[in-house]
Amino acid sequence: MRKKWTKILLSSLLFFLFIFPVLFLFFKSITFGWNWPDILPHTLNLRAWTVIFNDPLIYRSLFTTVFIGVVVVILNYLIALPAAYALSHGNPRGKTLIETILLLPILVPVLAIAMGLHLVMIRLGIADNTAGVILIHLLPTLPYAVRVLKAGFDRISPDWVKQSRTIGTSQAAAFFIVLLPMMLPSIRSAGILVFVISLSQYVLTAIIGGGQVTTLPLLYYPFFNSANEAVVAGFSVLFAALPILFLILMESSIYLYKQWLHRL
Amino acid sequence: MNKWYPLLFGAASLTAGCAENNTADVETQQERDWEEIVEEAAGKEVGIYMWGGDEGINAYMDEVVAPALEEQYDISFQRYPMDTPEFLSRLMTEKEAGQQDGAADILWINGENFRNAKENELLYGSFASILPNMEEAVNTEAPYIEYDMGIEVDEMEVPWGNVQYAFQFRDEENPPETLEELFYWAEENPGEFTYPNVSNDTGNGFIRHIIHHVAEDPEEVTEFNEAWIEENGDEVWEILRSLQPSLWRNGETYPETLSQQDQLFANGEVSATLGFNEYRAESLIEQGTFPEDTQTVGLSSGSISSTHYLSMAFNTQEPEAALVAINYMLSPEAQIAKLDPSMWGEGHILDLNKLTEEEVEEIESLVGEEVVPQEEALPELDARYISWIQENWEQEVVQQR
Repeated sequence: MRKKWTKILLSSLLFFLFIFPVLFLFFKSITFGWNWPDILPHTLNLRAWTVIFNDPLIYRSLFTTVFIGVVVVILNYLIALPAAYALSHGNPRGKTLIETILLLPILVPVLAIAMGLHLVMIRLGIADNTAGVILIHLLPTLPYAVRVLKAGFDRISPDWVKQSRTIGTSQAAAFFIVLLPMMLPSIRSAGILVFVISLSQYVLTAIIGGGQVTTLPLLYYPFFNSANEAVVAGFSVLFAALPILFLILMESSIYLYKQWLHRL
Repeated sequence: MNKWYPLLFGAASLTAGCAENNTADVETQQERDWEEIVEEAAGKEVGIYMWGGDEGINAYMDEVVAPALEEQYDISFQRYPMDTPEFLSRLMTEKEAGQQDGAADILWINGENFRNAKENELLYGSFASILPNMEEAVNTEAPYIEYDMGIEVDEMEVPWGNVQYAFQFRDEENPPETLEELFYWAEENPGEFTYPNVSNDTGNGFIRHIIHHVAEDPEEVTEFNEAWIEENGDEVWEILRSLQPSLWRNGETYPETLSQQDQLFANGEVSATLGFNEYRAESLIEQGTFPEDTQTVGLSSGSISSTHYLSMAFNTQEPEAALVAINYMLSPEAQIAKLDPSMWGEGHILDLNKLTEEEVEEIESLVGEEVVPQEEALPELDARYISWIQENWEQEVVQQR
């Protein structure tokens, strides 16, 4: 009985902390003039949503945002998994130095780096396009991905891999069948973290993308300078929905991966 | 190894091709006929960098300007939402990198940002005289044609809209009409008035009105006058200090931005808001953000008028299409559509004498009575006053409580 009550208490606490704010924003977006001390709004209307979806840039920007986010996550895995594995299980010379260097991008002001990198990207011809924006998004995401994944590898004893190797599995099989399933929690959290960071980049995208690469923040942030709370609230709900979409994408690929593991 | 050579060579010639700039410069454009430019512009794509945080402005660009350019000139018009400091810093880097293929062609700019762009040679050049509508529609007698906040325009930008500073009150029978009445009103209604922090242009504009109020004659302060400030600066601060206790939250804090104050006004926490553009309340009332009984008042003692401009980036790829687009935005057709409060709703820069009778009637039917008669408009102060206010307000007013 007591267990049940704690469960109810805990879930209502979670509801108030995480779901209620989003619901509140949603209600804010479909009301006008809902002011203190009214408990319930007088009128409901969808005008803010028509404004958002009438913007000719909105659909493309939603697609661009998710596309950039997903590619950034995949690139992060490709780079950060080997790096984290080497840092954790290998014993490279100057380990601390490498770790510090990998962490540097989040210690130095991103804007300063972006200006310099913009110059380089113009010369390489990848400024003003999606490739450049994806590349620059690696800057604020990779350090976190390496950290999270390294912590994951640290929890796994190298003996597991050695053991599987003694029974004759190949290196690749040892990675996909032994190591990866144990790493899933870290991979999940790194993925969602990276996606959310990429999603919220404004200045980097603006400078490197030059307005040609329109992600959702580029449309959304300027509205903070307007008096219309409903439109800002609507954009915020849309913004909050994207990580959920990503989560569904990621969980389904993990599900497929697990199915494949079971069939082995 | 050898098979890579053609590829390398190809890449090298590609980069060389990029460095070469085959867009016409402003001198060439000046020698051409307008028809030739219009012909050249057809089928091109042109982009504008502009702040994208107002649905009315966005709707005007997307639903009026873009389709009209497509239809009349076969130009596809793109709006790139970006804040002014960001696109300026981008242009600066592009200048440094020698990037001649700019991402956008037209810039929405004024004041200090224009000075920056002009000094760093980020602009295309003196193009105003190329545009037929400057001659045929725009009021070229207005002071803002020559000077933008005390900065010489040199034809490098053209006025796009002109707005007056005005105050909005809710549910008020006799709203104050001069600054003195406003101070009195604020005292009578403690907590109902405030103005945004002076780092914000609207808050700063309120102080600029007080400078005008202290100065007997606008002439005294049109140019930056250090002797005048020495002598009268304290009177300006004194007025603000005595106003402070009757402000919202007793002046302990000020709204950071105009949007914050507008939200306070919309929520009924304060009874007055203010800002450039005497028509700005109309669209906000229509949207339902501002209450129905919002009333806009211009000061009969004089309101500052402010102008914003269109300019061209130094690395525009389609100067012809940009010129045609800017020329269209100055046309009576586009300017009258811009007055419509259901979209943007802001002041035009047309010369009524150059328009047809129908056009004048249309303007009057949209705008109705002028909120601030042109002759009562005060000139915008030199940009250096803005920095003077920003540097001293905190210390002279906020910390003196």
